Amino acid sequence: MTAPQIAAGRAVPSRLVRARDVLAFEWTKLRSVRSSYLTLLIAAMATIGSTAIVAHAVGSGPTAPQGGSFTALTASFLGYAEYAVIPVSVLAVLQFTSEYTTGLISTTFCAVPRRWAVLAGKAAATGGAALLAGEVLGFACFFLTQAMLSGRHRGLSLTQPGVPGAVLAGGFLLCACALTALGLGAIIRHTPGAIAAALAVIYGLAALCLTLPSPWKVGLGRFTMPFAAAQVLATHQQPGLLSPSLSMLVLIGWPAATLLAAALVITRRDA
Amino acid sequence: MNLPPGSAVAIPVVAVVVAFDVWCLVDLARAGQVRYLPKWAWAVAICVWGPWGGLIYLTLGKDRTLAGVPGEASLAKGAGIAVGGPLRARRAPVGPVVIEVDQLTKRFGPVTAVDALSFTVCPGQVTGFLGPNGAGKTTTMRVILGLDAPTSGRALVGGLRYQEIIRPLHVVGSLLDATAVHGGRTAWFHLLSIAKSNGIGRRRVTHVLEATGLAAVAGRRVREFSLGMKQRLGIAVALLADPAVLIFDEPVNGLDAAGVHWIRQLFQSMAAEGRTVLVSSHLMSEVALTADHLIIIGRGRLLAATPTDQFISGTRRDVLVRSPRAGELAGLLTARGAGIRPEGDGGLAVTGLDAPAIGDLAADHGIAVHELVPRHASLEQAYLDLTGDSTDYRAGTPAPEGLATS
Repeated sequence: MTAPQIAAGRAVPSRLVRARDVLAFEWTKLRSVRSSYLTLLIAAMATIGSTAIVAHAVGSGPTAPQGGSFTALTASFLGYAEYAVIPVSVLAVLQFTSEYTTGLISTTFCAVPRRWAVLAGKAAATGGAALLAGEVLGFACFFLTQAMLSGRHRGLSLTQPGVPGAVLAGGFLLCACALTALGLGAIIRHTPGAIAAALAVIYGLAALCLTLPSPWKVGLGRFTMPFAAAQVLATHQQPGLLSPSLSMLVLIGWPAATLLAAALVITRRDA
Repeated sequence: MNLPPGSAVAIPVVAVVVAFDVWCLVDLARAGQVRYLPKWAWAVAICVWGPWGGLIYLTLGKDRTLAGVPGEASLAKGAGIAVGGPLRARRAPVGPVVIEVDQLTKRFGPVTAVDALSFTVCPGQVTGFLGPNGAGKTTTMRVILGLDAPTSGRALVGGLRYQEIIRPLHVVGSLLDATAVHGGRTAWFHLLSIAKSNGIGRRRVTHVLEATGLAAVAGRRVREFSLGMKQRLGIAVALLADPAVLIFDEPVNGLDAAGVHWIRQLFQSMAAEGRTVLVSSHLMSEVALTADHLIIIGRGRLLAATPTDQFISGTRRDVLVRSPRAGELAGLLTARGAGIRPEGDGGLAVTGLDAPAIGDLAADHGIAVHELVPRHASLEQAYLDLTGDSTDYRAGTPAPEGLATS
C-alpha cells in the first residue's frame, strides 16, 4: 500500500479556497439555467402586482380597527408572502431534485465528494440569492405600499420603531422558506414529492393547526412558519403568538432542522 | 425647494430604474450576439418598457454562454471541429496511480451486486472491465468513485478512499452516464461549473471543448445534443483536470465510427503517458482492440484478470476434421484418448490431440482427410464461454409451439 502517491507533488489548497470553489460551483450552476431567472422574474412581477392591488384595496377601504400602523405594514407583505415564497421555494427544491432526476448528482459528488459541502454550497448560493431577492422585494413592497397609502395619510415610514426590523425580517422570510425547500429536495429527491412536502411544511402545517380547537390552534400554530412570520412582520406583540425574537428563532429553526436532516441523509445514502 | 410628498421614495426609485435601463442598453451594445430578436428590437423594447423590457432582455435575449469570456469569441463563431487537439495541462501531473479493489462486496437488499471482488488496475495500460449486463461493473465503478458505500471491503485510488482525495478531479476523471446532464444548461456552463468546483481555469474548459470537438456547439443547450455529443461532453468532463486516472463506463455507446476510433486512440495515448485507464464494456469486441489487460466479472464475482493476449491462448482450442469415413476415424481417435464432438455438417471437433497427430493417425489407417484445421476460440467465443453461466438476462431458447399455443 503506497499511501502518499496522490499527495506527492500536489499543492493542497486551503479550506477557504475549497469552500470558495464549491460556492462558485453551485453559483455557476444556479445562474446558468434560464429557469432561475424566470422564477425570480415571475416572483417579482407577481409580488409587485399583487402588492399594488392589496395596497389599493387597503387605501380605499375603511380604517382598520387595530389602528393604521398594523394594517399598513401587513398590507405590504400580503402579496409578498403569497406570491414570492412559492416560486422561490420551487426553485430551491429543484436545486437538488433536478440533479437527482437527471443523474447529474453523480458528477457533482465526484467533483466534490464531501457531500455536506455540496449541501452547504447550494444553501449558500440559493439562500444568498433568495435573501437578496427577498430584501429587494421586501423593501420594494414596503415602499410601494406606503407610497400608495401616504397619499391618504395612512402610510408608515422606515423611521418608526419596529418597522425596519420587520421589513428586513420579511426579506429573510424568503431565504428561510428557500432553505427549508432546499433541504427537503435533498431528502426526497423527486421533484413533485419535494414540492408537495415543501408547501406542506411552509403552509400546510399552519393550515392544519387552524382546524384544531381553540387552545391548540395558536398553541401549536405559533411554532409553524406562517404564524411566526405574522409576528415577525408586525410591529406589536400579537395575542397568543411567541415573542418576536422567539418567532424569529422558529423561522431560523425550520430551515436549520431541515438542512441538518438533509446533511445526515445525503452523507449516509448511496448517491 | 419644495418637493411634492412622496418624492423621497419616488426619486431614488426612478434613479435606480433609469440606471438599470442604461446598464441594460450598455450590456446590449457590448453583447456579441442576442437571441430571438435583433439587437435594435431589444433596444426598442428596453426603451419602451423600461425595467420590464430590461428584465426580459436579460432573461431571454441575452446570450450568456460566451459573453464576456476573453478568448471565447472565436468559439462562438464556430471554430470548426478540431478532434484530437492538445489535452495536456500545464500543471505537473500527479504521477502513476493504482486502483485497488479489495474484497469488495455490495448488496442492495437481498441482491448481491458485487461479491468479494478483488483486482488491481495498473498505470500505463488500458484495462478492459468486462462482464454481461448486470454483472456489477457499474456498481464497482460507483464504489471506486465514492458514490455508493461498499457493504464490506474497500476500493482505493492511489492508496486513498475517493472521499479522502482533495480536488479529486485532478486525480480521477470519470464518465459514468453521458445522459446525466441538465438539459437546460449549455455545454460551456456545464463544463465551467465543474471546472470551478476543482479550481480549474476557463482556458482549460475551452481546451477540452476543442479537444473533444465540441467547440462549435459550446453555446448550445445540452438537451439539443445527440447521444454521441453528450458522450463527448462527458469525456470532456473526465479530461477537464488532466487526471492520472480515467474511469469510463461504456464510453463507446452512441459514438460514430470516427468517434470510436478517436476514443480508442485517446485511451491508448493516455495509457502510454503513464495514466491508469479503466474502461468497462459488455462487448468483448469493443475492448479487444484497445485493452492491454482484461478484468472479467460475472454475477459480481471475478472470472478472470489477465493480459489480453494470454486470455486467448489460455482458452479452448480444438481441431476440425472432415473425412468421408468420419465414424471410423472417430473410433480411432477416441481409442487414443481424444475428445470428439460432432459438428453439424459432418465435421468432427477433436480435442486432446493436435493436427499432426490426427493426420498421422488417419494416414496410418489409410483414411482420407479432406480438412484438418487447428482452431483457437476467438476472443469473443472465449469470453462467451467464460461468462456463459453467469449471464443474468439471457434470451430464452425460442419454443415455436409454445408461442403458438399460449
